[in-house]
Amino acid sequence: MPLAIQQSDILALLMIAHLLASLVAAELRNLRSAVWALIIQSFLLTCIIASFAFVWNNYTLLIWAAITLATKVVLIPSILLYHLRVTSLVTELRPLIGLRASIIFGSILVIVFYWLLRTYIYFVAPTQAALVEPARSNLAIAFCVFSLGVYVLITRRDVVKVVIGLQLLENGAHLALITLAPTLPPTTKLGIWTNVVVAAYMLIKLAEGIYKTLGVVDTLTLSELKR
Amino acid sequence: MMVESWLPILVFAIPTICGVISLSFRRASALFHSVIAVLGLAGTFAISVAITSDVLRGNVLVALNNAVYADGLSALMELLGSCMGMLVAIYSIRYIPIHVARRPDAPQRLSTYYGLLLLFLGMMNWTCVTNSIVWLYVTLEATTLATVFLVTFYWERRSLEAGYKYFMLVTIGIIFSLFGLVLIYSGAVELPEMQGRDVLLITELSRIGRKIPRSVVLLANALLIAGFGAKAGLVPFHAWLPDAHAEAPAPISALLSGIVIKVGAYAIARTATIFAPQYPPIIVFIAIMASLSMVVGILMALVQDDIKRMLAYSSVSQIGYVVEGLGLGTYLGIYGGLFHLANHTIVKALLFLSAGAIAHVTGTRKMSELGGLVHRMPVTAVCFFIGALAIGGLPPFNVFMSKFTLFAAVADAGLIWAAVIAVFTGLLTVACFVRAAMRIFWGKPSEITQAALAYANGGEGRLPMSMVIPMVLLAILTVVIGLYPGLIHPLLDSATECILKVLRGAF
Repeated sequence: MPLAIQQSDILALLMIAHLLASLVAAELRNLRSAVWALIIQSFLLTCIIASFAFVWNNYTLLIWAAITLATKVVLIPSILLYHLRVTSLVTELRPLIGLRASIIFGSILVIVFYWLLRTYIYFVAPTQAALVEPARSNLAIAFCVFSLGVYVLITRRDVVKVVIGLQLLENGAHLALITLAPTLPPTTKLGIWTNVVVAAYMLIKLAEGIYKTLGVVDTLTLSELKR
Repeated sequence: MMVESWLPILVFAIPTICGVISLSFRRASALFHSVIAVLGLAGTFAISVAITSDVLRGNVLVALNNAVYADGLSALMELLGSCMGMLVAIYSIRYIPIHVARRPDAPQRLSTYYGLLLLFLGMMNWTCVTNSIVWLYVTLEATTLATVFLVTFYWERRSLEAGYKYFMLVTIGIIFSLFGLVLIYSGAVELPEMQGRDVLLITELSRIGRKIPRSVVLLANALLIAGFGAKAGLVPFHAWLPDAHAEAPAPISALLSGIVIKVGAYAIARTATIFAPQYPPIIVFIAIMASLSMVVGILMALVQDDIKRMLAYSSVSQIGYVVEGLGLGTYLGIYGGLFHLANHTIVKALLFLSAGAIAHVTGTRKMSELGGLVHRMPVTAVCFFIGALAIGGLPPFNVFMSKFTLFAAVADAGLIWAAVIAVFTGLLTVACFVRAAMRIFWGKPSEITQAALAYANGGEGRLPMSMVIPMVLLAILTVVIGLYPGLIHPLLDSATECILKVLRGAF
């Protein structure tokens, strides 16, 4: 019997790798490595979108994949790496939660979310399209990545890490978007992606401003305006 | 009647192009930038007037295969936006150069300021003429991105913090609304009834709303209200609002309170309002959020010492009124919501510009340090007083009319508890603003402020005409609309009818 690797196997592998890369990008303490993990995570996202194009015979999705490749894999990480080179920052500022606790908590978060969402997908995306594989698992993965992004935003103090968290959150949102609405016209996609790139650039600019005026990139020090 | 027209495209293209020009000439003089801004916005205002007159004749202007669509509501928003934009640009002519004069990078800052101001108005006008739910999200996010660097304009610790909070909260909030829009889209593409129709169009929303499962509509609307509510500054997503309003330059605060948060309310009017009458839980959900905003906003405003923070919290409270009216989905509710939206834009811009004038002359925004300014700054005092009495809902000013329309609409919809909260908030607003006006203009100023006033012979003489004229114009508008509400009635009526037409699915 010939060894048959099915399309669905490749997709499943890509999704698991995507989720793992998200976790690694969230947890790595060395900022440069974390950015590289983000690059891999975004590249896997591109691969998932591209394979959807073939699974659903919807070749306009390849445009999505190309735009994702250009913005998420090349443009935004380059801005981040440039920022790291200019500021010569190496290690992340100590987050609010320790490394081991964070890995355990992050993993539990992902597993519980995946199980909950895959079982009760009807509550978050109550449409017919969401109930069929591979959309169902894919949506569950998308929400896991999204919630991981939120978790990073809440617990991390370092601005670079905050940008990574925001990217995870947006990658999750866009994976959900592609799963639920693969037939969106290309002009709207272009609009959404322009926003994503401008937003990432602006956040880094803000981070640079904060670094120059305060000497740190610690979001916790931004608490003068209370009440 | 649908009429093909270039006007709805020009209304966002002109400010956008002017903005790009301003951003490209980094070393140009302040005069160059202010001329571009004032002329560009005057042109936009003229086009908005042309659109309004067309719309009042019963036409709907469309372009680009129905993707651009200007009806009564678009006309109202554009008229308000370009009018406020123009006044803010005039106010900035002297105010902004004085405030950056000592910085080495002053020319670049001016270029950024005017460029982003114009880009913001371009994006805002685009938001108001787009007919696609996804472009509604894209342009709404673009208005946020355009204003972040205006909030952080002074580029110092406090303004950077405010800008960072603003950016994070609104950007993440708006992703939720994107998800809500996508859910609606995903539910709609499956419908056999929608085959061959463009399911992304706002004008198709009501037809979609009747067909897709109830749970999709309710979940999507909860997400939409949370996302757009973050932009509008509804409690509990309001944390960015007082910081951003207080730390931005005064003309930008006027713009933020006047227009930026209203874009969020506009998005709610275009989406959630359409679904509300068919799904009563949406009405109740919006009423709860709105009432919470009213009460929390005004209670926080009462304890502030900083004038601009007080005004900002009051905006949280007032946007509650607007959204509550829009959420009812009845003629009276939508009419009242839009009327209040327009009135609040005028009055809050007036108050923020007056606060900016006070801070400009005295060097402080703290009410505890101010006092006795009525003799030093009589024109500003009159303007601030008109604004304070108006926002308190006292006759004969414009807000009196819109607030009472809203009270009637809420009670008429059977939400008596919400009407009681709205009236109660109105009373607290009067108390808050009359007290603030008394503290600023009567009593005795602190020694520091006296010294600041004595230095360089402080007083109204130090205010350039370009700052006084916008305030006086806004004050006149406040009184005139209060005395002759018939002036604005046809446009409000047309805007309300436009929403109701989409809501009934009359397309």
